[in-house]
Amino acid sequence: MRKFLSKGDREMVTRLRSALVAPPRAAVSKSRASVKRWYGETAPLIQWGEMSSPLGTLFVAVNTRGLCAVDFGRRETDFLQRLDPQARLEKNPKAVQRVTKQLLEYFARDRTKFDLPIDLSVLTPFQRSVLDIACRIAPGRVWTYHRVAEEMGRPKSSRPVGQALARNPVPIIIPCHRVVASDGTLGGYSGGSGLKAKRWLLRLEGALS
Amino acid sequence: MPPRFEDLIEQHHDEIFAYLWRLVGNERQSDVVLEVEDLTQEVFLRAFENFLRLRRDSNYRAWLYKIATNCAYAKLRQSKNRREKNLTFMATDTTTSPGESIQKRLCTLVDALPAKQRACLTMRYLQDLDYSEIGSILDCTEESARANVYQAIRRLRAAVEEER
Repeated sequence: MRKFLSKGDREMVTRLRSALVAPPRAAVSKSRASVKRWYGETAPLIQWGEMSSPLGTLFVAVNTRGLCAVDFGRRETDFLQRLDPQARLEKNPKAVQRVTKQLLEYFARDRTKFDLPIDLSVLTPFQRSVLDIACRIAPGRVWTYHRVAEEMGRPKSSRPVGQALARNPVPIIIPCHRVVASDGTLGGYSGGSGLKAKRWLLRLEGALS
Repeated sequence: MPPRFEDLIEQHHDEIFAYLWRLVGNERQSDVVLEVEDLTQEVFLRAFENFLRLRRDSNYRAWLYKIATNCAYAKLRQSKNRREKNLTFMATDTTTSPGESIQKRLCTLVDALPAKQRACLTMRYLQDLDYSEIGSILDCTEESARANVYQAIRRLRAAVEEER
């Protein structure tokens, strides 16, 4: 097999390049606009915003089903990268106002429970049931991973429970920080600055002195 | 980090359009712009439908080219069938007609190449893809992609020289 083209072959390539010209710019632009328009009409829309909080900049995102992401202690690009990659993103502080208002009330100790529709459709049914149980833990109290597993009727599933809690897309709103290890340590926390944030949240709620 | 779908449109729309233009637009139909535009939309529609199934470490550019190639093949098959049914349509007649420009003549000869050779040649020398990418797009080895390009050039040269 020859790897290099002969002089005649190279001349043919040059002729081809001038014969099979690039498409007219106007046609390319028209097509790009039309693909973008189709994408805008088809792709799910995620609206997001940010707010200052005692835990640093806090990002929130909503879709048509409800709140779909909360994160803090990360860069904006990292937060956006974790959202549904198929979705169209739009920064829209108004669209997330209800969420940010409730979070501000929570940080000011004026609110202990959130009243928001939440979209957990990216999770498995098991992960969803773990988060449902986490929602039952009262502010100021903590449960162990084992207790959550017991509540689910699967007392030997402490580890999968921990893994499911780590997938919580809306920390603080679904209080996975209220679940700790049986040995008295805090266990893990995937939100923002990790255990430091978990400790801070538990102190805010009065579960830790 | 894998790209977001809207980044794929931003980064690759223009080259996919150009690729389809060169691969299918050669058919010299009056409504070629519309046809290529329609085909480009189909590529991104198919990509959108399968986007979440793709592995995070995939080569997204090669994947788009693969979809575009499959769409173009289907289109070329359709055009070929149409021409075969319509005996009066002589667009792919490879004999020279008087007054035909050399460039147009070359386009006609490229149209007459086997689809795979045409795709390999277009990707290598007009879209500047490397052979490993072409191999992954066409599910063949790098050597096979190289051989297809080489055969296409030989064939074109032979046709041109025969007419002199």
